[in-house]
Amino acid sequence: MNSIKNLDWKLLNTPLVVFLLLFLGFPVIVNLYYSLSEVSFQTLRAPELTGFGNYLTVLTDPAFWQASWFSLRFGVVTAVAECALGLCLAIFLAPLIEKHSALMAPLMLPLMVAPAMVGLMYRLVLHEFVGPVPYYLYEWFGNSPSFLNAESAFWTLSVVETLQWTPFAFLLFYMAYEAIPDEVRQAAQIDGAGPFQRLFYIDLPLMAPTLIIAAFIRFIDGFRVFDNVYTLTGSGPGGSTTSLPIYIYEAFFKQGAIGKAVAASVVLFLASFSVLFGLNWLSGRRKGATK
Amino acid sequence: MINFLRWIVFGIAALALNFPVIVTLITSFKSAKELSTNPGFWINQPTLDNYVSVLQVTDRLNIFGYLGNSLVAALIGTTLALVLAVPAAFAIARGEIGKRLLLPTIVNLRAVPLIIFAIPLYMMFQWLGLLDTQIGLGLILTIVNLPLALVILVNAISELPIELDEAARIDGANTFQILSRVIAPVCRPAIVTSFIFGFITAWNEFLFGLMLTTSKAVPMTVGASFFFAASGGGVQWGLASAVMIVGALPPMLLGLIMYKQISGSMTAGAVKG
Repeated sequence: MNSIKNLDWKLLNTPLVVFLLLFLGFPVIVNLYYSLSEVSFQTLRAPELTGFGNYLTVLTDPAFWQASWFSLRFGVVTAVAECALGLCLAIFLAPLIEKHSALMAPLMLPLMVAPAMVGLMYRLVLHEFVGPVPYYLYEWFGNSPSFLNAESAFWTLSVVETLQWTPFAFLLFYMAYEAIPDEVRQAAQIDGAGPFQRLFYIDLPLMAPTLIIAAFIRFIDGFRVFDNVYTLTGSGPGGSTTSLPIYIYEAFFKQGAIGKAVAASVVLFLASFSVLFGLNWLSGRRKGATK
Repeated sequence: MINFLRWIVFGIAALALNFPVIVTLITSFKSAKELSTNPGFWINQPTLDNYVSVLQVTDRLNIFGYLGNSLVAALIGTTLALVLAVPAAFAIARGEIGKRLLLPTIVNLRAVPLIIFAIPLYMMFQWLGLLDTQIGLGLILTIVNLPLALVILVNAISELPIELDEAARIDGANTFQILSRVIAPVCRPAIVTSFIFGFITAWNEFLFGLMLTTSKAVPMTVGASFFFAASGGGVQWGLASAVMIVGALPPMLLGLIMYKQISGSMTAGAVKG
């Protein structure tokens, strides 16, 4: 009887497992094989195993390291900015939203717009002749910086990303804030804790796990950014806004350097895998320690 | 007093966060002539001309084609993800099969840059003749949607009392009947939520649309970007704005209607992620 039930469970999992093996397992194998081969669009189906040449090309390519640096910096800057803004908004606006829950809707709206579309929209917003931002800056200050040149493109993109994804951090923090039982705050108040003491000794420590999770998710999403950067600046100017995914995309589609693109994919795969593995291990250990 | 301040902060935040959409919306109601002299927030002579021309099919711009592709691919990607995830979630939550390897693998997929699978998938699609097809794009969108759908469903099923299953089993139902007659109907809210959320995610996807489609199956996000790139120096900004508003409207409307359910599912994904 039990073994029949066991078979049932396995059958229920089978479609998903087959799908994953086909659409994720197979690509991983192709990635590994092609990254060790010499291959071009002409010899796509007959790659020739040659060893680690592609990895050497990637790891000695300054553009690869520039892209890694861009991704890393972009992930950190936007995650910190989004979490800081989201936390302030969540704590400050919580009493208002408790009373009028519909106010949540306009704050969540940016999350519903495709990042690629947002990138395109900022082309309009920041455009020299038809964009309102340069227009009003000229009107009020007589000058407008160029937002998308090599020096400022990184910061412009960071602001674009932050404004779109702050609502995500805000949402998580608001939920965490609301989940703290009122009795805890009241008890602290009776004990004589002022609003700031309650914030620093009760709310923030209780929200700490959510803070870490939100920062991690936002870092990952910032690190692997593609859509809005691609539609707003391409990879330019001068390759200064090439994130790692854009580096891989361009190696494959623009340069036709399949081996390089695939080797870079494997490097990125190993990097994200080891980070995730390390994090899972850490959180497992922490859970074990508190138990 | 402090409440007044809260309203002010809320107003500023709502405006700043939605700034690009607001500017695009305003621009879409301006004629080309007005736009060249007035890039500001005020519209002197509002016009619907941009929308009229967007909704007319021409060789250069067929917005219904893009919208249709996005709709079909997103529906495939969302439905297939649920077809795969509902039984698996049941097995994981109740049978404890796949809890060790399958669930963590898929949940961690949320944090892996999907581009690393893109090049082999491109080659595979070339061999299978799936490049530039709605089905091909739908299959990829399934991968994109799976992690969150699975987490939401596993959470939902775990919260149901086990007595529900046991009662059905005593009445003679087998595992598959329990799923189709008891668990799936009871979990309908969770299924609807992940459907809506998956649809929005799929509609907004860009990377795979860009890589795997060229003309016949181009989705809305990619179609809008074509429109900017193709016209070189002379982007027609009013028209482009109308294209973006039309393309961004479906997920925004869904989001506005369903914001409560969506906020819940977002946090579900985050807590387990």
